[in-house]
Amino acid sequence: MSKVKNWHLGREMEYPYEESRPKKQWAIVFDLNKCIACQTCSLACKTTWTSGKGQEYMFWNNVETKPYGAYPLAWDVRVLEKLGQQSWAGGKYAGKTIFEAAEPSERAVHFAPTDQDWMYPNLGEDDCAGTVTNAGDHIGELPHDRWFFYLPRTCAHCTYPACLAACPRKAIYKREEDGIVLIDQSRCKGYGECVRACPYKKSMYNPYTRTSEKCVGCYPAVEQGLQPQCVVNCIGKIRVMGFINPPWNARADNPIDYLVHKKQIALPYYPQLGLEPNIYYIPPIHADRQYLHQMFGPQVDGAIERYRALSKDPVAAGLLTLIGSSERILHSFKVEKGVARGFAEDGSPIVDVPVTEPVIVRDAFDEKLGTARYNTP
Amino acid sequence: MNLIKSTFGALAGVSLFCVTAEAEIVAKAVRGDVSKPQPAAAYWANAPVEKVSLIAQPMAIPRPAVALTPELRVQAVHDAKWLAVRLTWKDPEYSEAGHLGEFSDAVAMQFPVKSNESPPPIFMGAKDNPVHIFHWRAQYQRDQEKGKPEMTDLYPNLSVDMYPMEFKDPGTLGTSANSGREQFSPGRAEGNPQSYQKNGVDEIVAEGFSTSSVQEGHGSAASGTWAAGEWSVVIVRELNREGGSVLTVGGKTFMGFAVWQGGASEVGSRKCVTMAWTPVTLEGAQAAAR
Ligand code: SF4
Ligand code: SF4
Ligand code: SF4
Repeated sequence: MSKVKNWHLGREMEYPYEESRPKKQWAIVFDLNKCIACQTCSLACKTTWTSGKGQEYMFWNNVETKPYGAYPLAWDVRVLEKLGQQSWAGGKYAGKTIFEAAEPSERAVHFAPTDQDWMYPNLGEDDCAGTVTNAGDHIGELPHDRWFFYLPRTCAHCTYPACLAACPRKAIYKREEDGIVLIDQSRCKGYGECVRACPYKKSMYNPYTRTSEKCVGCYPAVEQGLQPQCVVNCIGKIRVMGFINPPWNARADNPIDYLVHKKQIALPYYPQLGLEPNIYYIPPIHADRQYLHQMFGPQVDGAIERYRALSKDPVAAGLLTLIGSSERILHSFKVEKGVARGFAEDGSPIVDVPVTEPVIVRDAFDEKLGTARYNTP
Repeated sequence: MNLIKSTFGALAGVSLFCVTAEAEIVAKAVRGDVSKPQPAAAYWANAPVEKVSLIAQPMAIPRPAVALTPELRVQAVHDAKWLAVRLTWKDPEYSEAGHLGEFSDAVAMQFPVKSNESPPPIFMGAKDNPVHIFHWRAQYQRDQEKGKPEMTDLYPNLSVDMYPMEFKDPGTLGTSANSGREQFSPGRAEGNPQSYQKNGVDEIVAEGFSTSSVQEGHGSAASGTWAAGEWSVVIVRELNREGGSVLTVGGKTFMGFAVWQGGASEVGSRKCVTMAWTPVTLEGAQAAAR
């Protein structure tokens, strides 16, 4: 075991390999306040990557309703249960990660899903926590006593992947150029150790090819400077892909760094597992706080507070308008004179968006065309 | 690191650095042909049974917590061209994998490649000092007997609108539809032997952990039967395997073994293994004439 730096935990931790951060790290930020569970992302991924034999059940991108939905079944509850009760102390993780809590014969604390666990990808959809006792019950207080939220998930292309750590054939590798974690399809023997070890259950076994497969981060798109399919097809424009730096190298003009490090409104999920996952969530402001604490750690209160204040910040508001405005990867952004501007890696401009759309008033009847106008946004 | 040290420490007392085990396998010379794997052939009656001890694989993580298969019974015969080995062990359930999260029962035997006198480290050889492995799986045998399963064989109630490039009539696409289809099966597109039909047994050359590569077009064969909580598997191989291990009549070599109980989720490095090479003698040709 090596000692590696995990900034999600605010401390060093044990990992089977040395710390070796990629030159750039693929990352997605999701605003959970906006996701509508339309599953367009899931289908965008499915039609792009997993329409073949043995992939019928696979959703490399899935959207589940929290707290009850989970794909595979109860993955979160089962991993947390295996890990046991752990705690944070003053922003630092005082408990054990799945690597540190593992038996000497194992790489990680884990559970192995069966086929039945994968067969109900949307079980629990829209089930809310708390009971609705009266017909016509309404939600009277904040945060809501009855709540649910949607959690879209891809592989997190973790800085410390459990899938990679557990593979006895060393068939999994993390790319130096962008941090994307891939399973070498020519070397994998289908032992399924990655399926067992990944706590987020984002490595999946293909019973037809007898190899394990996982989200490829849409690397062919990323190599061309484009964001992944599940991101660019997002109906709610709730997600943005880019490259994240560790906090000690953070750049305020990098969209991902801005949201995660500067504004600190986007948080990793279940950071306590110890993988330094690289998908980040703006927490849902109306969901149960205790639950959010468990999922996002002690930073969640501050993140929600700062998110609420966001509308008063023209730079942040500008960045939010940029999200979903281009399929190209934004390496930096600038907000000036009411315009949010996104730039490519070489600094060339990609897209300009007005922070506030101009209001245009038109008559209800178009004289020239001789027809009535309808509002069709 | 501490972990690895303590593993070594614990094992030093067990025979980690011994080359040979107590058992010794004598491959009986038989008249006739042993090139077909026959678990119930008459010649097994006269072949001595060696009991080989296995322990839970102790080196590579993940490893099994307990030794599910502490003993393997080994018999061997040869006909001066082929060596047949019958391997018998207790396994309470038959497992051939297929579904998600299921694993296959399996057994493997290995031979040194470079030298029949001083074999490489028993843990799958070492760099430039390979081992020659014969790996049988119930899953591979199923492939051979019934063909590689389609998804509807594994999940009869599965319903799929259509798979990409799979047409009843490919029309003008002709056979190009086939190669197009492979692109949607990454393992096959990459030519991974795991993704294609198996023939009972794989021949593998390895130079240490996580280095094994499957050899194409080999002549070995295997056949196993499971009954009443016991597997009996026969693997046959040519004595002289070019590019692999070479055995000689009247000569000696060594063998190592591994067993997986798929029903208990054993796969890959989760296996029971022999910790020392077992010496093997191929009885001289004149013995068969006696
Ligand atoms: S496409 Fe966007 S809004 Fe729709 S479910 Fe996916 S993440 Fe949510
Ligand atoms: S989310 Fe799981 S599959 Fe993806 S890199 Fe992390 S450990 Fe591996
Ligand atoms: S990044 Fe690409 S491969 Fe990964 S979930 Fe999204 S669409 Fe699928």
